Amino acid sequence: MRGGDPADGARRTGPGRRAGPESLELILAAVARGDHAAFRAVYDQVAPAVLGTARRVLRDPAQSEEVMQEVLLEVWRTAARFDPAAGSATAWIMTVAHRRAVDRVRSEQRAADRELRAATASIAYDDVSEAVEITLDQERVRRCLGGLTDLQRESVTLAYYGGYSYREVAQLLGVAVGTVKTRMRDGLIRLRDCLGVE
Amino acid sequence: MRTRGVMRTRGAGLHTLVGAYVMDAVSAADRASFERHLLTCEQCRSDVRGLREAAARLGAAASVPPRPELREQTVQAAERIRQLPPLVDREEGRQLAGHRRVASWQRLARPARLSARPWLARTAVSAAVVLALTATVFGLNMGSMQNRLSAAQQRDATIAAILGARDATTLTADVTTGGRATVVMSHRADALVFIGSHLTRLPASKAYELWLMGPAGASPAGMLPPDRNGMTGPMVVGRLTPGEHLAMTVEPESGARQPTSAPVVMVGLGD
Repeated sequence: MRGGDPADGARRTGPGRRAGPESLELILAAVARGDHAAFRAVYDQVAPAVLGTARRVLRDPAQSEEVMQEVLLEVWRTAARFDPAAGSATAWIMTVAHRRAVDRVRSEQRAADRELRAATASIAYDDVSEAVEITLDQERVRRCLGGLTDLQRESVTLAYYGGYSYREVAQLLGVAVGTVKTRMRDGLIRLRDCLGVE
Repeated sequence: MRTRGVMRTRGAGLHTLVGAYVMDAVSAADRASFERHLLTCEQCRSDVRGLREAAARLGAAASVPPRPELREQTVQAAERIRQLPPLVDREEGRQLAGHRRVASWQRLARPARLSARPWLARTAVSAAVVLALTATVFGLNMGSMQNRLSAAQQRDATIAAILGARDATTLTADVTTGGRATVVMSHRADALVFIGSHLTRLPASKAYELWLMGPAGASPAGMLPPDRNGMTGPMVVGRLTPGEHLAMTVEPESGARQPTSAPVVMVGLGD
């Protein structure tokens, strides 16, 4: 037998649940029941963010599309396991997306490519605007990133958009590993507070 | 509970790793250490939740529209993929506790990825396998095993949910025919993750099969896929009843309905 109606879970608003026009949590509950229309709705809501994240990390468009599709299919497959108490649906999906993109980088990227990426990753913050449609959310992220110290911002963007480990970031920035760890934490905390999530 | 996965946190050092962890900017070993730390640090779990929301916004800010044809391609691909059933809530287990549940174990999931690599017949498994003693377990080996867990497969959301559950407990046991078994169990999630490491490779005609064993007998809990880089699984097994055991036997490659040989490992699921 199947468990309780996932929609019940989705209605229990978890911490950090994003109060947006979407109620991705509810749509996910329908996806969990095999609803293709709901899956299309999820796709429409998250595919651009998933693809964009993969593009930032992987750079290669074809690989990024593969990751995007893998992530969406993982969402389809595991929708019933989504736990609203553990965070918002968006965070869940983006966590899967980012990890998958980074895993792919780590497993496939050769040393030479990495050096090449080092040259391009530093512009990550600046080309947030490269996205086709600048939404209010995007503008807000931009503004909040601007509120970090330089070192916090570089640490966060190299890690998140560049897909670098904190050790690599330390190397790239020429600062101590411990410093990078704390800047990543403090930067993300400041970002969280600025964005008003959770 | 017979065994405890008591973890010593490595002090505040791990605490600062939260940002790097959330952004996947950690090595597999760091990830494992931090996740071990998470098991015992409520504040850290809460931090992870909040910071994940923030990180998700970074991702959303990078949005690019996919090529239009990818949409239907993805939907069509989904039609060919079986969805996982929900993890049945612990509360439901409680509701059912009054009537003793007939052991109707069910395998929840089988890893989607099947290795194409042929099995290597290396060692024939002795038919006279001694019944393994109930596993006991030990912080000592958790490190390396959780490293393996992390490095290999934690991207699977289900597995992550079990590993991240507040009551997650790690149990490891030697397999009598070689290798080790690790079980991360959450009664709250009503499921466990099984991973074999360096299990003796079997002839192609044989495979390892998991069972849940209780007073009502043994129920199949899934066939293990071939190992990859010395790691087998992870497998997710759901619907746990306290007091029963997870066991593994060597069976014909197609699986058996009841064990045909003595277990090569048994792990108590606690009570």
